[in-house]
Amino acid sequence: MPTTLRIALLAGLLALLSNLAVIGFIYLRTHDEAVATVHRQVIEQGKVLADVYRSGGAGALNGAIDDTMTYADPQTVIALVSPDRREIKGNLETVRGAVLGPPEGYRTALVRLRGQTTPREAALAVHRLPNRQWLISGRIAGEGLAIRDTLERSLLIALVVAGLLGLLCGVLTARYVGRRISDFARVANRISPRDLSQRVPVSRAGDAFDRLAAQINAMLDRISALMEELRLLTDSLAHDLRSPVSRLRSAAHAAAESSDPAEQEELLGSVIRQADALMRILTAVLEISRSEALTGRKQFNWFDVGELAAELAEMYDPLADERGASLEYERPARPVPLFGHRQLLAQAVSNLVENAIRYGSAGGEIRVRVHPGERQIRVEVGDRGPGIPAERRDEARRRFGRLDSSRSDEGAGLGLALAEAIAHLHEGELWLTDNRPGLLTILELPVHAEARAA
Amino acid sequence: MGRKILLIEDDRETASYLAKGLGQEGHSVEQATNGQDGLFRATDGTFDLIILDRMLPVLDGVSVLKALRAARIDTPVLILSALASVGDRIEGLECGSDDYLVKPFSFAELLARVNALLRRREARVDPAEHRLTVGDLEIDPLSRSVKRGGRKLDLKPREYLLLEYFARNEGRVVTRTMLLEQVWDYHFDPGTNVIDVHVSRLRRKLDEGYEKPLLHTVRGAGYMLAA
Repeated sequence: MPTTLRIALLAGLLALLSNLAVIGFIYLRTHDEAVATVHRQVIEQGKVLADVYRSGGAGALNGAIDDTMTYADPQTVIALVSPDRREIKGNLETVRGAVLGPPEGYRTALVRLRGQTTPREAALAVHRLPNRQWLISGRIAGEGLAIRDTLERSLLIALVVAGLLGLLCGVLTARYVGRRISDFARVANRISPRDLSQRVPVSRAGDAFDRLAAQINAMLDRISALMEELRLLTDSLAHDLRSPVSRLRSAAHAAAESSDPAEQEELLGSVIRQADALMRILTAVLEISRSEALTGRKQFNWFDVGELAAELAEMYDPLADERGASLEYERPARPVPLFGHRQLLAQAVSNLVENAIRYGSAGGEIRVRVHPGERQIRVEVGDRGPGIPAERRDEARRRFGRLDSSRSDEGAGLGLALAEAIAHLHEGELWLTDNRPGLLTILELPVHAEARAA
Repeated sequence: MGRKILLIEDDRETASYLAKGLGQEGHSVEQATNGQDGLFRATDGTFDLIILDRMLPVLDGVSVLKALRAARIDTPVLILSALASVGDRIEGLECGSDDYLVKPFSFAELLARVNALLRRREARVDPAEHRLTVGDLEIDPLSRSVKRGGRKLDLKPREYLLLEYFARNEGRVVTRTMLLEQVWDYHFDPGTNVIDVHVSRLRRKLDEGYEKPLLHTVRGAGYMLAA
């Protein structure tokens, strides 16, 4: 069964059911009330007549019956029946069913009044008088039933109309939904690795479909950005691996050609170094994609960022010293707890410190700081080197985005990209700003990250 | 002194290269080429060391290791793996291995780690030795005091840890990554010579003014503390 039809039928059925519930309620209430009213009236009337007999005897009752027949409305039923079941007085033509007979009291029966052609349902009170005659009084329930009949008819019509309207409504909804969904399907169908440019049309209605369309479009934007990044990365990986591989190849070649053992050893050492450098690049690329894919959150733990920074500052202090710079770190007075990946954050911070030492040592002072905050912890590494001009900072963060392409051995241009990926793993950010003068790199780590990781 | 080593590695080229190298060092090497066979041999429990590749046919390395530890076999295990990320290394260490070496590695690196693990096993057998001595160097791990030729050396805490690690591996090559992992407990690969700088600082305090140097550089491998 096609979805459109299914939705239409479902909507029709729901409309029918809800109307049925409302109508049924109305029906029951009115029915109950009408019946209760008639019941009360009939019993009352029967009692009154029986009392008349008790206080005034047969004569008074006859008078009362005459009065009732004369003045009461035509729906009234009244009859005095002899013990042998013949009518002595009254307006009752025939009675069907065992109206007469014990027990006395209220009952309903089909009766035909004098002068009428069809038997009708009546509510009757039956009394046995002390002279063994039967007193029958009551009302044709015709008005109550008439109301009920009209009500039933109109309710039935309402029900049919509601069902049809529901069906129509369902058809319209289904067609609208179907049309909007086919927009999505069409776009989804056309998206391919070669063409990510298709977008779902967004109407001006601002409804749920438009929100969904906007979200899908945003997702497609992200995917195409990622694809573009992946393409760039693959290109630059292929490109950046060319030079170390070709250096490695020529060193190996030269070693094979050389006849001098000392030179050969030297060249083979260089082969190993180049291979190691290649491995480092591959490991860093792997680490970046792992972090961006947010794997590794299972290894999150609580640790003190202040202590980690102290450890790294101590570790890099001699290196900075050797390059003619001083590495300053002032440990926060209190522990700075963070739920994160200690090893990877150590790597991120050490990348920032290594960068500062590598490019900023000339400036003399390198400062590492940890700012504990209510909502985020900031780890800052600032140098007094030449810095990076604002317009080139994004480039510096990119994978293989080494600004000074003349450098060949140190750093593959992955340090900042890796630090940024590790920041993302912690739902944080890496900022590069001006240290006036020099470069200030900031690792901003939200404190709440553990809630989502756990 | 030769030891019994079980090598569980499915790559024949790597396996024969390692077996040959370890054989030349005087160890006897038994080989297994899949995890199940490896586990079967390892449960003999007569090995001094197990070298275990992480990705193996039939039964992977981590499962082999878990099965071994579950069977209360505490033979030291060195994991070899092409899985190089920090997360992989930590996972490898956390599942009960004693060391984790990322492929590709130099044979010198492997040998250094193998020797360190064998030595650790020895030390476990004989825990009585508190004081470490290397030539005229005396280290007291309890008070963390260091004397050379009777004269006290003033070391920073990290320098002391470095020296103690060297002393515990006296006469054996210690590589830079071993130092980074064991002394600093970091499992990433720094792009700089930061470890060398620390070692040369320690060397200055240790050997300067003494006739006979104790801390030696081993070319292409690392360092060694030896009298």
